[in-house]
Amino acid sequence: MSLLERIAALEAELRAATAGTADEVERFRIAFLGRNGSVTALFDAFKQVSAEEKRALGQRLNQLKQAAQARWEELRQGATAGPATADHALDPTRPAALDPAGTLHPITLVRGRIVDIFARIGFTVSEGPEVEDDRHNFGALNFPPDHPARDMQDTFFMEVPGGTPAEGALALRTHTSSVQVRVMEGRRPPIRTVSPGRVYRNEAISARAHCMFHQVEGLYVDRDVSFAELKGTLDHFAKAMFGPEVVIRMRPSYFPFTEPSAEVDMSCTICGGGGCNVCKHSGWVEIMGCGMVDPAVLANCGIDPDLYSGFAFGMGVERIAQLHYRVPDLRLYWENDVRFLEQFNAEAFRS
Amino acid sequence: MRISWNWLRSLLDTDTLSPQQAADILTSTGLEVESCEPLEPVPGMLAGVVVGAVRTCEKHPDADRLHICMVDLGQGDPVQIVCGAPNVAAGQKVLVATVGTTLHPAGGEPFAIKKSKIRGAESHGMICAADELGLGTDHDGILVLDPAAVPGTPAAQQLNLRGDHVLEIGLTPNRSDALGHWGVARDLVAALNHRTGSTHKVLLPAVDGFKQDDEARAIAVEVQDAPAAPRYAGLTLTQVKVAPSPEWLQERLRSIGLKPLNNVVDVTNFVQHELGQPLHAFDADKLAGGKIIVRKARAGETLVTLDDKERKLDPEDLLIADAEKGACLAGVYGGAHSGVTEATTAIFLESACFDAVTIRRTARRHGLNTDASFRFERGVDPEITVYALKRAALLLQEVAGAKVSSAITDIGAPRPWAEVDLHFATVDRLCGMPIAPDDVAKILQALDCKIAARDAQKLRVQVPPYRVDVLREADLVEEVLRIHGLDRVPIPARLMVPPVLHEAVTAEAFGANLSKHLAGRGFREVMTPSLVNGARAAQLDPAVEGTLVRLKNPLSAELDVMRPTLLFGMLQAAVHNAARQQPDLRLFECGRRYAVDAKGQVHESSRTALLITGQEGRESWRAAVRGSELADVKAETELLLERLGLAEGSSWVPAEHALLGSAVEARLGKHSVAVLGEVKAEVRKAFGLGQRAWYAELDDEALLALVRGQRTTFREVPKFPAVRRDLSLLLDRAVTYADLERIARQAERKLLREVGLFDVYEGDKLPAGKKSYALRFILQDPQKTLTDEQVDKAMGRIRQALEKEAGAELRG
Repeated sequence: MSLLERIAALEAELRAATAGTADEVERFRIAFLGRNGSVTALFDAFKQVSAEEKRALGQRLNQLKQAAQARWEELRQGATAGPATADHALDPTRPAALDPAGTLHPITLVRGRIVDIFARIGFTVSEGPEVEDDRHNFGALNFPPDHPARDMQDTFFMEVPGGTPAEGALALRTHTSSVQVRVMEGRRPPIRTVSPGRVYRNEAISARAHCMFHQVEGLYVDRDVSFAELKGTLDHFAKAMFGPEVVIRMRPSYFPFTEPSAEVDMSCTICGGGGCNVCKHSGWVEIMGCGMVDPAVLANCGIDPDLYSGFAFGMGVERIAQLHYRVPDLRLYWENDVRFLEQFNAEAFRS
Repeated sequence: MRISWNWLRSLLDTDTLSPQQAADILTSTGLEVESCEPLEPVPGMLAGVVVGAVRTCEKHPDADRLHICMVDLGQGDPVQIVCGAPNVAAGQKVLVATVGTTLHPAGGEPFAIKKSKIRGAESHGMICAADELGLGTDHDGILVLDPAAVPGTPAAQQLNLRGDHVLEIGLTPNRSDALGHWGVARDLVAALNHRTGSTHKVLLPAVDGFKQDDEARAIAVEVQDAPAAPRYAGLTLTQVKVAPSPEWLQERLRSIGLKPLNNVVDVTNFVQHELGQPLHAFDADKLAGGKIIVRKARAGETLVTLDDKERKLDPEDLLIADAEKGACLAGVYGGAHSGVTEATTAIFLESACFDAVTIRRTARRHGLNTDASFRFERGVDPEITVYALKRAALLLQEVAGAKVSSAITDIGAPRPWAEVDLHFATVDRLCGMPIAPDDVAKILQALDCKIAARDAQKLRVQVPPYRVDVLREADLVEEVLRIHGLDRVPIPARLMVPPVLHEAVTAEAFGANLSKHLAGRGFREVMTPSLVNGARAAQLDPAVEGTLVRLKNPLSAELDVMRPTLLFGMLQAAVHNAARQQPDLRLFECGRRYAVDAKGQVHESSRTALLITGQEGRESWRAAVRGSELADVKAETELLLERLGLAEGSSWVPAEHALLGSAVEARLGKHSVAVLGEVKAEVRKAFGLGQRAWYAELDDEALLALVRGQRTTFREVPKFPAVRRDLSLLLDRAVTYADLERIARQAERKLLREVGLFDVYEGDKLPAGKKSYALRFILQDPQKTLTDEQVDKAMGRIRQALEKEAGAELRG
């Protein structure tokens, strides 16, 4: 084998050589670059050749030595990056996560999902104060002066300095419908908005009731807004939220601020309508209230009811969450037990 | 409200509906049937049990106590039945449970009757004792019927058992028109006729037969408070024989869960639930001065009510009084003294319309909720008072032998019918579908409205006064739509979306992104009450006392003010978890905090709160576990500011904070956007948290405003290399990093791009009161490569300034 051929063979050998541990790297060094290594041996052989040959081979030989050194350096770096590196190679299945996982609260997740669905069909998001005056919480919404909701038994009232404001006694809003009024007062139609937020009722805290909870209110005011559109919008919501197979039904009901008013039931997602404990064997579960905005409410907010009509709807976030997650006790939402919260790890990716 | 199906059916001229069909229709008209349950006097209504005639009865050859009977069941050949009862005999009429029947014996499990062999003799059924049928506990022997009983007759018919269904209706507060069976029947028939094209009618009980019998007794009525009692009718009945009601009347009341009392009280209850008009019967002999005075209670006046409680009356309470004292809390509860007893022979029967608000207030004030107040609060029909009176008088003549002994007193003016125009176009526009004008008119007529005029565009509709909720065009649209059926409104194929613009960065999206970032950083979002303990808040931070937003009527002292900070809820969440083997926590919450100013203006501001406590990170072979520290919560805040593009230009300033130690504030211009620190020991201990905790509260609105003001535009990526120089400084402990950075930046405004702290030494090798910081300075000129000379000059300026302004000493 000529010297030139031996150089070429060694080049290939270098490229193929591997070394996972420091020991192997050292073995590589000895095999190629050591006192008796194959590269060193070539230099010995080089001494024997003629001067002409030396001129031709010298450059190649130096290249080989450099390549061998570079390869050794490469392997050395790979093998000595850290004390644990070698162990990785032995057991790459060891758990490696150092940071804890975070989560969003289930109520935030559901609220976000509701808002997203409506945002996709052109609803903006509006917010309003939780400490609200009588006008925005009741009066402008057409609650009669003696309505029981205005009682201390049902509503939390505030004790603030300076006496009763011109817009009526301050209370914790009992529904996000108060935001409707603020939006209509501040904007001209078309108005198309949802208002998520925290609301309060003077109720003892139990598994099924709480003095604080969350609602999402929706409002659409424009020319010629109809009940059929309301139905179409809520049907879309129910399907987007719970699946394309659900159907809704509407039953006439009563709210002071809508006329006509309706309750919206959805085919039970648990039993598919066949009857179960969740739907009390009716096949239907109530999901929200809705209706056409009462003309008096429009007028109270400075919108001409002869020119404009609108629809409104309102749902409890905890109620929708309940249909999703089947949390048996409302108080769990407020306890913030990490073992409860971590159950919702993946939910943020499911919306 | 309970509705008996049998009772409802007695007001309909159709027998073809099932109770469930009726319930579905009622729900769809707005009378929500919450449940529709069978009401059976005997379980199973003895289906399969028939009358049998015992033709022959012989002793069983193989058993002393058994008989073999041939029983005629009215159909086909007599069947053989083995019977063990001692009293069975030929010629008896008995009840036979035929093969396949399920019996529900009193106090036992249901069982099915099968064809069987008893001691070798076939038996095709069972002759039953009363207890085996669930008819009582009698097991002395089989039930022997009247000899006239006809074989084959179903037992239910033979025993006159009538099954019923009870419909529980959740009545919305506007539907005062449906407070009795009659009103419910009206909706049912209206919807049925409109939707099926049928022409059924509601059968209104006739009162044509009413007439005055004599003039034996007159009670003078004086209404002193007409606004509270707009209509007051009454009459006197004598020769009343108070006794138990006949079975049909008792059954009606029992079917809706009322306990029959006596014929007088039962009739008033019956009419109330039939027509929705509450009636009250007074013992006429107990009415002092033979007078009824309708007036407000006097100051200090009391009344002993039917429950024998003496109640202090309010001057706003409406009272039905005699010449001397109160006899009844009007529309709410009767007085004990004037109530009907077994000794009563003459009654004054009241049928009135009281003001809804007055009644509601009185009922609430006295904690009373009666069938009468339930109806008056919603508003009863002022025009029905006299009709109801006649209906009750006729019934009392029938069931109590009473004589009508006075003319009807009727005080108060008839309430006029409201006139409302209804445009067909409005109906179609609001419903989003056309409803034929004829149908619109027919629906309204079925609801007792009158069509005063009609043209191509509209109807002039007269609305009966009992529809207190129907006064405007929109109200009529609702009436039409609910009878038409909301489910018949088609879902449109397209949704129209008006072009409404969103704000550039919505608070909603900002909050959502912030939350996602924090969850990605290992924080768990919590949701804590916005109501907290005010006394504790004021004790921990006396400065907030004057700004606390207080509740007038809190549920408890734990929830009596709006939270002035999110910290308290976070601490509660931490304590809850720490007590449950979950001490290592990263928590966050986005929510509002509340304060009121001296003028009574309430300010709500959105905050994001972070709390870190316990160990940081998971326990792992890769890294040693370490306890959390102040720098962790600061690191997260810095990182957040960096993500928001606000790190540049922000400065950190040590701050005094009532609840936080080592507190520091992040400022951007004049805004304070975040404050953080270690939760003071006394604060966390007030909530029971033993371990140290670190907390940050960010001002979401200030951050959002700053983010909205920003825009990203491209900047040239630096072409020339940066130069790093380090300085190791010996400093007084009081000197802060923020001071050093500020001084350095002021000293070298042009080239200094970045300052960093890469080593800290505070050990005992330094002189007392000293610490050592190693600072990194990155210098760069965007226009050219820096020369050593330029760098040295810049670093010289920085060093000098640090020495002069911060008393820094350069270390080797």
